[in-house]
Amino acid sequence: MSNDDETAKADGGTASQSETVEDKRSEEHPLEWDEPENNSKAPDERDSVSHRTEKYDDRKLVTGQAKYTADYEERYPDLAYAAVVRSDIPHGRVTDIDTSAAEAIDGVDAVLTPESDAVPDTKYTSAGQSYPEPSPWDMHVLNEHVRYIGDPIAAVAAEDRATATAAVEAIEVAYEEYDYVTDPEDAFDEDAPQLFEDSEVENEIVGHDYGRNRMAHIGGELGDVDAALDGDTHVHETEWETIRQSHANVEKHTSLAYTNEDDRHVLITSTQVPNHTRRQLAHLFDIPIRDIRVTKPRVGGGFGGKQAMVVEPIPLALSLATDRPVLYEASREEEFYAMRSRHPMKVKAKTAVTADGDIEAIDLYALSNTGAYGSHGMTVAGNVGSKPMPLYSKVPNARFEADIVHTNTPQTGAMRGYGAPQGTLALEGHLDEVARDIGLDPIEFRRRHHMEVGDLDEIAGMMGGEGANRRIRSCGLDECIERGKDAIGYDDLEQPDEDHLHRGIGMALSAQGTGVAGDELGAAQIMMNEDGSFHLQVGGVDIGTGADTAFLQIAAEVLGCDEDDIIVKSSDTDVTPFDYGAYASSTTYISGMAVKKAAEGAKARILDWGAKLLDEPVEELETGDGTVYSEGSGDSVTLEDIGYEAAYGDDEREHILGKGTHCTEESPPPFAAQFADVTVDETTGEFEVHKLVVAVDCGVVINPGMAEGQIEGANHMSYEMAVSEGITLDDEGRAEIADFDEYGLPSATETPPIESILVETHEPTGPFGAKSVAEVPTNTVPPALSNAVRDAVGVRIREMPITAEKIKAKVDERKD
Amino acid sequence: MPNTGGNAVDIELTINGERTTVEAGSTDDLATVLRQHGYIDVKCGCDGGTCGASKVFVDGEVHMACGMAATDANGSEIQTVAALGAQDDLHPVQQAFVDNFAVQCGFCIPGMVIQAVALLDSNPDPTEREVREALDDNVCRCTGYQKPVEAVLDAAGRMQGEQSVAADGGQAVSAPLRGAESTSCCGGGCDE
Repeated sequence: MSNDDETAKADGGTASQSETVEDKRSEEHPLEWDEPENNSKAPDERDSVSHRTEKYDDRKLVTGQAKYTADYEERYPDLAYAAVVRSDIPHGRVTDIDTSAAEAIDGVDAVLTPESDAVPDTKYTSAGQSYPEPSPWDMHVLNEHVRYIGDPIAAVAAEDRATATAAVEAIEVAYEEYDYVTDPEDAFDEDAPQLFEDSEVENEIVGHDYGRNRMAHIGGELGDVDAALDGDTHVHETEWETIRQSHANVEKHTSLAYTNEDDRHVLITSTQVPNHTRRQLAHLFDIPIRDIRVTKPRVGGGFGGKQAMVVEPIPLALSLATDRPVLYEASREEEFYAMRSRHPMKVKAKTAVTADGDIEAIDLYALSNTGAYGSHGMTVAGNVGSKPMPLYSKVPNARFEADIVHTNTPQTGAMRGYGAPQGTLALEGHLDEVARDIGLDPIEFRRRHHMEVGDLDEIAGMMGGEGANRRIRSCGLDECIERGKDAIGYDDLEQPDEDHLHRGIGMALSAQGTGVAGDELGAAQIMMNEDGSFHLQVGGVDIGTGADTAFLQIAAEVLGCDEDDIIVKSSDTDVTPFDYGAYASSTTYISGMAVKKAAEGAKARILDWGAKLLDEPVEELETGDGTVYSEGSGDSVTLEDIGYEAAYGDDEREHILGKGTHCTEESPPPFAAQFADVTVDETTGEFEVHKLVVAVDCGVVINPGMAEGQIEGANHMSYEMAVSEGITLDDEGRAEIADFDEYGLPSATETPPIESILVETHEPTGPFGAKSVAEVPTNTVPPALSNAVRDAVGVRIREMPITAEKIKAKVDERKD
Repeated sequence: MPNTGGNAVDIELTINGERTTVEAGSTDDLATVLRQHGYIDVKCGCDGGTCGASKVFVDGEVHMACGMAATDANGSEIQTVAALGAQDDLHPVQQAFVDNFAVQCGFCIPGMVIQAVALLDSNPDPTEREVREALDDNVCRCTGYQKPVEAVLDAAGRMQGEQSVAADGGQAVSAPLRGAESTSCCGGGCDE
């Protein structure tokens, strides 16, 4: 099927019209990218990029000297500690809060309720996203109408943690209880208990229908899916289910607020989104943006759980009320029931496939349980379709729809993969089944259809909103598949000797994005010191990913200086340039490109000074080894000499500065091919995963060691989605998980060896050819393992997690 | 700084070689007391003995400091991760964690390093399985366990005077030190 046909169907036009449309699209999305010459370097020309540069903060981290938010408490002798009263009913209205006993406790500084002056009544969303915010304003800092077991009702500040906890326990809350609903399918029923009146929400999202607990409905279509399904094709239909996964960030949500001597409201906070948080706090507290300072120290993991203003309003309100610095550190139990989690979903996949094995149509439908509030609800659901479906952008007819539904269950939000894991399970599990049903090799079936360089991906753009059509300019899928196959031993799999044991291999592909297309901004500044060293100030947010290190590698590559000569300062809204934050796999690509531009700006000034000092034309000069040197004469001058001359010389002096700001319509997909090798005991259903292999095309790798760490960590998280229950809830929607012992995070002995393979391509729109890496390997283990079990014993598990009980039941069912 | 719970008592501790008397509430855990006295390298990721981040040596034995009453440590010798090595003079286990990119956010690392040092003290040449068993109650959310396990095996090799060892699967686990030429790496296109 040609692109012309695809376009014609998409536009309902004639062939001649479609050519015109295609010409226009080629113009809008050219394959050739106007890439600066300096952006593409052969491996042996790279001085810093692609090297295993030591992580910038590692020495402090391994000696325990790095500071996270809670480590700042010793700086504030008058620090007060916060704790929160949370709803212990799933749905109702608070009729009375008796704070008298709590206020009588010695050491209690303040007790805040929804009525308190310091507590804003403004509606907001906790989601830390761009503006206008694509999540509904349906939350309050403290609530009278409570919608899940965990909703915040009151907050206290006290001299120490134990007193704060005692005060929380002394507060009596009376409720009028309402009916509640915890199952999303039940919630979608017209007679179900209703979580929101229309008047309780502002900034509503497309397709909302609060009478049916629907916060949004989204959808889009290319071609005519129904016609393809009704045509002369085999129609396959499957349904998949995913878990409610916890971010399980080892550093809990922690935030410290105070007003400093310059009347600035300061938050030292564990966040992925300092600038968004500043804007959201300004909205919520009616304080000008300029008067709020959000600063991020080291962060102990985010994974999307901190792409949200989850806790910051509590210490800020208490600090304003008490005129003291206030620290709020969520408890581990709160992390599981009152912070955020991955949206549990049911996803239906349908395809129309010809007898020859050509896919004519793909149709996905997701029912997403957004829990009590709608943060990230619509955008996560959108990515269920818009991330995995473009893998098969050659398929002429495609449709995606999703309903996002409220239940009286804990809040959901952004989580690494952002909808793509749910969609990838459905699509990659489904296509594996289809291939086996029609007698094709599942890998060859994928190869016939997957995306290639030159494709115009219209699926990401078909739903409007965040998505946009995009031209594919780098794609290493074939090499990912080939190298993954070799590493897992696909072609020489040995079966166990025992008759009841069966070994199988499953494969799944994945695509993600690199930043939100057309909805990102990153900025950086580089200042040169007189000794030839540099300060790099960047808004990009290192939450443990190694972003600071990637930034300095990019800067050092441009400047030709030693990596040790760059000091990185990131993520302090009073000091560093603006940035949207660490999400959507954007940091290296967006903020990294801003760093590159800033470094180029500084370099241009350095070369100019070099020309002056060497008395040679600037075109002859280059930077390297901490000097400016002439390729013609061989003469050189050190950056230190330039620094001193620029700052203290006799001629017109200059502070050498470079500034960079970057935004783009592009969001090139990184790719992954995942393999899982499993042996299943058909008598018990027990299985052992021998090895996971994941080959990833993330463009040019900025730091292979860090990239491998990202991939293996993401794969561990993905493995958990395949084999663990996640946060389980009781009938009232109460989280049954309170600590790590109860949460089924695969431990070191429970995690199979994971082999990561880096497949280099060159993405012309990224800094030195880089694309993203952080999310794509989060999407792939559930389908790969489901496919491996199917390969081993012929049964299919579609509802995560994959367990021995489920396998045994299916095997027994087949015997009957 | 006020204590956090119960009646205050004085306890005597030797922390990283320094003998000191500290005030501790009768219900305070050891991690809280250590942190209150500036030992912020003791990390608290859970609220009582389930994540492993707060591991320290108490009289040579590994304990999760958050799961131990401070008063039970009275008279003990405590060693935290900060005592193992300085930033410019890392312990071989710390150095191996750095060189193997076993560290991302770093929050779990103090506990991981303590546990790894304890393992190699008692078993200088562990198998991969033994390393995994040793780290079994240390939660790492960023990196998973592949690189930490490789780091511990690498550290074992270093401490026995070897340059590097290979983990299962034949992957090289040594990495060039900062500043060293990384000529072997082509940025992902190679099979290294």
